[in-house]
Amino acid sequence: MGISLGNSMLGIQVSNSVIDYALSLGADFAELFVEQNHVNTISTLSSEVQAVRSGIDFGIGIRLVYRYKVLYGYTNQIEENELKRIVKELATKDRRDPSIQKTNFDYRKIMEAHPAKKTLSKDACIESKIAFLLAADQSARATSNIISQTSGSCMQREQQIEIFNSEGLHTDDTRHYTRASLTAYASDGIEQATGSSNDGGLRGWEIKDEIDAEKTGNEAARQALVNLSAKACPSGRMPVVLGNGFGGVIFHEACGHLLETTAVAKKASVFHDQMGEMIANPVVNAVDDGTLTNEWGSINIDDEGLATKKTQLIKDGKLTSFLADRLGSAQTGFECTGSGRRQSYRFAPASRMRNTFIEPGETDLHEMISTIDKGIYASHMGGGSVQPGTGEFNFSVQEGYYVENGQIQYPVKAATLISTGPAVLKEISMVGKDFELACGMCGSISGAVPTTVGQPSLKVDDILVGGNA
Amino acid sequence: MNNEHSASAILERVRENGAEGDLIIDEGKTLSLRAQKGELEEHKVSSNLIFGLRVVKEHRVGTAYSEASNEDALNSMVNQALLNASFAKVEPDEKITDISGSLKTDDEILCPSDIVTVEEKIAFTLSMEKELLAKEKIKNVPYNGVSDSIVQRSVFTTSGLSANSKQRYCSATAHALMEHERKTVMEGSGRVSREFGELDYRTIVEETYCRCLGLLDGEAIPTKHYDVILDQEYQPALFSTFASMFSAQTAKDGVNPMRDKVGEIIADERLNISDSPHLIDGLGYTLFDAEGTKTETTSLIKDGYLQTLAHNSATAKHFGVKTTGHASRSPKSTLGINLHQLHISEGIDSESILYSGEYILITDLAGLHSGANPISGQFSFGASGYLMTDGVRVRPIRNITIAGNFYDMLKKVSAVGDQLFWNQGRTTVMPHIRFSDVAISGS
Repeated sequence: MGISLGNSMLGIQVSNSVIDYALSLGADFAELFVEQNHVNTISTLSSEVQAVRSGIDFGIGIRLVYRYKVLYGYTNQIEENELKRIVKELATKDRRDPSIQKTNFDYRKIMEAHPAKKTLSKDACIESKIAFLLAADQSARATSNIISQTSGSCMQREQQIEIFNSEGLHTDDTRHYTRASLTAYASDGIEQATGSSNDGGLRGWEIKDEIDAEKTGNEAARQALVNLSAKACPSGRMPVVLGNGFGGVIFHEACGHLLETTAVAKKASVFHDQMGEMIANPVVNAVDDGTLTNEWGSINIDDEGLATKKTQLIKDGKLTSFLADRLGSAQTGFECTGSGRRQSYRFAPASRMRNTFIEPGETDLHEMISTIDKGIYASHMGGGSVQPGTGEFNFSVQEGYYVENGQIQYPVKAATLISTGPAVLKEISMVGKDFELACGMCGSISGAVPTTVGQPSLKVDDILVGGNA
Repeated sequence: MNNEHSASAILERVRENGAEGDLIIDEGKTLSLRAQKGELEEHKVSSNLIFGLRVVKEHRVGTAYSEASNEDALNSMVNQALLNASFAKVEPDEKITDISGSLKTDDEILCPSDIVTVEEKIAFTLSMEKELLAKEKIKNVPYNGVSDSIVQRSVFTTSGLSANSKQRYCSATAHALMEHERKTVMEGSGRVSREFGELDYRTIVEETYCRCLGLLDGEAIPTKHYDVILDQEYQPALFSTFASMFSAQTAKDGVNPMRDKVGEIIADERLNISDSPHLIDGLGYTLFDAEGTKTETTSLIKDGYLQTLAHNSATAKHFGVKTTGHASRSPKSTLGINLHQLHISEGIDSESILYSGEYILITDLAGLHSGANPISGQFSFGASGYLMTDGVRVRPIRNITIAGNFYDMLKKVSAVGDQLFWNQGRTTVMPHIRFSDVAISGS
């Protein structure tokens, strides 16, 4: 296989020269990550186009590894001398006699598994996106005259990456991301509440054929109206049914991050020494899968140039795999899972999640709710965070309901769920059939990357609910 | 071509196309270091350059940016900004300000020379981790590091403004994991400064260790309403979370509940809140905003009454007032509004009044980014801290939540301390405030 010089963003000769220079300074491993990123974002407000923004990010990340020590630099300048200057500056303290002398690149292209048609470089489709956002806006406003405001956003980006490393790897990829969202604001003259709806994928603007503007607007408005009528949430320990789709954010934050070798290698994860052990209720099966066609968190190759995979994290409650990048694999001995990801050339890669979800089970949602004496049905989750060392997490409930005697009573506001990852995994007693995926952005040590979360509805028997009642 | 020549060529093309515009050029250099198990785990150096253009043509605004600095890329940026403007709504209020001339910050104040070598910064990083690891019950310091960055910003406009600022930011942080008898806790501390030499890792080590040790045995307390005081980091963080209540931009957008409340009482009469950009000890010290408008101290809340919202030139025109010098913009963003340094005036309550009786001292809030709704004021966060009586710790508390409505809390103030403090990031200055009747959920 080969690649013509014209197709390479940096050029084979420059790349070869810089990597060989790094090796001549004794680095065990050297890598160049070249990125060009085109972005276009349209935002609407008050049924008008608020702004159209676009831009080009361009830069080169340089990674040198001396055993487990990472030296990282980046620049926007493409000149060979500037790249070598950074290499020299990085290696100042660690330079030693070289053990590897020369690199011969072997260009390999992983098969494109996520086709995109209406790509940004072909046509930004600005008029079509504006029409979509304004249609969603109108549909939200038509729901009720209590809807006082809406804001919409449509983001499309085309990320071209090219990776060279001292093991001879030379590969490239182009990723097409598109995401649209609408937020509705409801006001009764005294209080205001919000609701939102969004969807996205690793694809072009053809995604418009699958996301309905009317449904997007209606859903955002429905949620805003529910939240406006919500009462203060009861507090204390109680059972909670977590809704499907974005409810998976709890597994992502509370457990997924603890399975990344970034935390495992430092023993900063409570699961670092529990491979093969039962860490969850036997009804729990969890997966991180980068191969799902056109999903928001999917990739062809990771940001170290390795083919992505499907990784079974938990099988029948037993821990079966961690998520390992190249360095994490070397440090822990666990196999690379094609999970090395980064926001951009500004970050060294780290083990990160892709599409992470709990697999469907057998129980109906109504059956789960009917088992609750006093508790909460958190139909839509908001964001949250976790402390990897202790597993302690917090998540806000975006749309929730108080449940008593097995029946939904009324919507609740300002609720937060807190627990620890290990505790909540063991408290999951029922897993539903209504599996869904939802897209989000995950922030961590290597920046913000697109990730999908997902699950069917789940019942957690005991968790602390923080409310204001 | 240097940046000034590039700017001149770009703005000339903007004028040729019948538009006005402003161009931001950001140049930065950063060094960051992280330690792990006694060795340097990451050593990062970077240099970056970015151009960000805003154009206004026929009352429509468009923006575009480029990190590629060749002539083709910059020409493409101009064309893209003009194209983007053609799709935008008519915005009669937003113009490029007619300020001209040169503005420049004082490098001696904002960007002092670096006299600390890279070797000394590496030694600082390793020592910070090593001394924390040597502490009893500390098992790991998984998140730690130092950084030293210089950011140079130049703003050029078609009106003839040339504004240049250069700032240095140095920081050091450490988060340690303490473990003892199957109990674990992770806590951290940090400092920022304009001079690396002013950072002291020993302070960070001691603070981190004490925070871990103090909370290790923490447990939930009974669910009920308590008086609450937040510590020097999280009280400013809570106010910052709801800072958009002062933004005229969100008011103009119809999503700020304070929009029609200027002149009304919105807080306890003991609260006096201003934005004070000229307090030189803070890292938000600034003499001009992103539009080149001179900054000044702005009273936001006086004796509990909302005095004004924070404005840029566009929101000021919209509401028929004068700009307060709070314009913000980065190369990648549109024109917005930012407070520079939030400043709450000291009250009259001594420690004996502020800390009397039972209350909860909150030393950690989790979920500030997700558990708050600045539109409604509702919030619910995970929290840790101490049950206190008369200023003395009774017991550590963990696994609780704190919930309420921030805008209601502003009216439920029972004491305002008479001592000011800066937060670790040196962006806000305020006294401790005691809030009454706050919902805490625990056991």
